[in-house]
Amino acid sequence: MAEYRTHMKIIGEILATTRDDLQDEDGASVTYLIRKANISHSRISTILKTLVSQGLLEKVDNQGFNKYKISQPGREFLQAYYTFTNFADNFGLSI
Amino acid sequence: MEFLLENILNLVGFLVGLAIGIMSYIGFRNTGSPTLFRLSIAFFSISAGFFIIWSGYMVEDFITKTGSIERWIQTLGIAIQTVGYFFIAFSHSIKSFFPKSSYFRSVGIIPLFLVSSVQLEHIFRSVSFILLAYGAIETMLSYFENRNKGAISVAVGLGLLVLGEFVGWYSFVFPESILYSVSMIIKIGGLIALFIPVSKVPLTKIKFDDLE
Repeated sequence: MAEYRTHMKIIGEILATTRDDLQDEDGASVTYLIRKANISHSRISTILKTLVSQGLLEKVDNQGFNKYKISQPGREFLQAYYTFTNFADNFGLSI
Repeated sequence: MEFLLENILNLVGFLVGLAIGIMSYIGFRNTGSPTLFRLSIAFFSISAGFFIIWSGYMVEDFITKTGSIERWIQTLGIAIQTVGYFFIAFSHSIKSFFPKSSYFRSVGIIPLFLVSSVQLEHIFRSVSFILLAYGAIETMLSYFENRNKGAISVAVGLGLLVLGEFVGWYSFVFPESILYSVSMIIKIGGLIALFIPVSKVPLTKIKFDDLE
C-alpha cells in the first residue's frame, strides 16, 4: 500500500536530495528531483518556487537549465525538520 | 498526604506540560508544521489546567483556609486540561469518528439538558478519560508501525493517566481507602513517562554539516 506523505515530508525529501544526493556540484535538475521525490512536475514546480522564495534553495542557471542547491538556511531547516520529526514520532504523529 | 500528592501532581503536570508545549512551539516556529502547532496548544492547555488547580490549592492553603479547594477552580482547571487532551486526540484524526447521522446528532444534544443534575467536573473527567485512552491506543499503534521507542514511553504515559483517572473513580466508591492516593501516584508516573522522550530531544545539537 502506498504510504501517505505530508506536504512537510515531501519538502524534507526534496531538501535532503539537494543536500545529500546531488548529481553534480551544480545542483539537482527538476527531472532528477521529480524522480527522487516521486511527485508530479506541476506540484514540484510550485514547491520549488516556494522553497527558493523562502531562501531554502538556491536556483542556479546552468547552460540554460535550472538546477537547485540547498542554501545554509535550507540546511538549518532540514536539521530542525529531522529533530522535530523525531519529536512528533514520539507522539505517534507526523509533522 | 493527599494534599501533598495533589500539589506534586499539579506541579509536575504544570512543568511537564509547559516543557512539552515550549518544545512543540519551538518546532512549530522552525518548521511551520500544523501538527506541532496543535501539540503546542494541547500541552499549553494541559499545563494551564494543572497550574490553575495548583493555584487553587495554594490559595486554599495560605489564604482562605477553608479545608477544600473551590469547586469552580477545580472544574475550570479540568476543563482546560480536557481541551488539551482533545487536541492530542484531534491530532490523531479524531474528526473521522464524529457522529455523522442526524440521529447521533440529536442524541448528542441530550447531555446538555442533563448538565444541571450532573457535576460538570465529572463530565470533563469522563471526556478526558476517553480522549486519553484514544491517544494512548493510537500512539501504541504508531509504535507498531514505526518501532520508535519514544512512542512506547508516550503511550505508557497516556495509559497511566487513563489508569489513574479510572482508579480515581473507584475512590468515590471507597472514599476512605488508599485508592485516591494511588491514583495520583499513577498519574505522576504517567506525566514523568510523557516527559522522558521529550527530554532526549537534542535542542542544543544544532550542528550543521560542512558546506564544502
